[in-house]
Amino acid sequence: MAWLGVFFVAPIVIVALYSFNVYTLFPGPHGFTLDAWHTVAGSGIYRHLFWKSIEMSLIVSISIVVLAYPLAYYLALSGTRRKYVLLLLLIAPFLTSYLLRVLAWKVILGDQGVINSFLVWTHLRAPEHPISQLLYSRFAVMLVLAYIWLPFVALPIFVALENLDQRLLEAAGDLYASRWRAFVAVTLPLSLPGVIAAFFFVFIPTIGEFVTPSLVGGTGGYMYGNQIVDKFGAGFPDWETGSVLALFLIIVVAILTALFSRFLQPQRVAAE
Amino acid sequence: MSTIALSKNGARVLRGFFALVVAFLYAPILILVIFSFNDSDFPSLSGFTLRWYRQFIENGDLRAALWTSAIIAALTSIGAVALGVLSSIALARRFFRGKPVVSALLLSPLVIPYLVFGIALLLLFHQIGISRGIPTVVIGHIVITLPYTILVLVPRLEQIEEALEEAAYDLGANRWVTFRLITFPLILPAVVSALLIAFTASFDEYAVASFLVGTRSTFPIYLYSALRFPSQLPQVIAVAVVVLLVSLTVVAAAELGRRFVESRVGV
Repeated sequence: MAWLGVFFVAPIVIVALYSFNVYTLFPGPHGFTLDAWHTVAGSGIYRHLFWKSIEMSLIVSISIVVLAYPLAYYLALSGTRRKYVLLLLLIAPFLTSYLLRVLAWKVILGDQGVINSFLVWTHLRAPEHPISQLLYSRFAVMLVLAYIWLPFVALPIFVALENLDQRLLEAAGDLYASRWRAFVAVTLPLSLPGVIAAFFFVFIPTIGEFVTPSLVGGTGGYMYGNQIVDKFGAGFPDWETGSVLALFLIIVVAILTALFSRFLQPQRVAAE
Repeated sequence: MSTIALSKNGARVLRGFFALVVAFLYAPILILVIFSFNDSDFPSLSGFTLRWYRQFIENGDLRAALWTSAIIAALTSIGAVALGVLSSIALARRFFRGKPVVSALLLSPLVIPYLVFGIALLLLFHQIGISRGIPTVVIGHIVITLPYTILVLVPRLEQIEEALEEAAYDLGANRWVTFRLITFPLILPAVVSALLIAFTASFDEYAVASFLVGTRSTFPIYLYSALRFPSQLPQVIAVAVVVLLVSLTVVAAAELGRRFVESRVGV
């Protein structure tokens, strides 16, 4: 506990102090003010970036939850004997290096990458006019994020479906429910907590994402997280404004966690 | 299985979809492998070569970065698992006031954006005047990997019958002897998977490390900067393939090993 107190809680308190100008990067007159908060709140740029990041994470999280649901459904309910081997096959990419998977997409999407080379080779596209929007765009960021998180999302949904009492489905069948009706009335509602947990486990980390956007995002894919990094970077450091942005992100995440906490049971996911 | 869950045709469609997604997940990795043996400058494809592998073996900076990451990951996994065992025993065996709050706090590093956490630790070390280096990264990594070790250890502890430990106490063993002779051997498979998880998570971690490492570079930091200079790309792809295959093998072996041991022990 003491460990977390010193190295987890204390750092966040320091960030808060920076944001209120109690500490500053450059020596000079300082004291408690809300200036940095006023500046950020009044600036359209930060607000715009924040909403853009929320929107991008929402699109990514919702689409991969929708994609992952049938996968988890197949594994949990089709009665396939090798379901754990298949589950491991699905999840294994998630356990490999994050940066390497981003690298793979750079190789695929680049101006001279796999897709464009293929298009040139098949004469669908002239060599001097590759589809350059593939890399360094919002689309690239969202595609790569979806690729990275997809395997992970299947896990909580699988756990929820796996724990489903199959007798309920049989009962529905005995009562002459159609397959579709049994799914809508029994399976879907009972697996909903897993779906919500899955959504949350992707949505939270992707709001604060900065590595993928900085590698494949260009200017179009620039996200809130990149803004924070730049405030602490080598160029024009502004630790006070950066702290406000960082603290705001923590607050948003904390509120979301509190709202969703009743659906989150990481223990159950890990036990599988 | 109940046939109401899935018709024959439905199962077939879903199996096809599953295969498609798995192909989508592995295709990029396969492409990396192909390009790592490609005998010309990226991106045109021609001939087979081991040139890039040789270059990476001869690249001192890259080897140093891999080595730094390995040291950090080793220290992190040991520290995180030691703390993880202590806190898991407290969570699984003791009853104390404020337990829900404590367990929420222990797991909260799971949801904090690493970027923000890295910055926060940077500010803390800056404030108390600790210079950045390997120890600071290890501290950061222990905090973020601790919840994973707890998530692996607590379910295992809950599976073990407390009666076994109580029997040891009745026979006059003290806490430490009981832990060493009874509890620890029983949770060993979980301890090993916790070590592996912490090791791989730390080895791959970029955000926190980039703020805390100072002038040295870890493997992910090296990769990140290499990704910005295309001339190094083929070499980086070669390393990437090696690291990918090693980590996939370790993960698969660990998981299968754990299931095997647990089914043998029959708990």
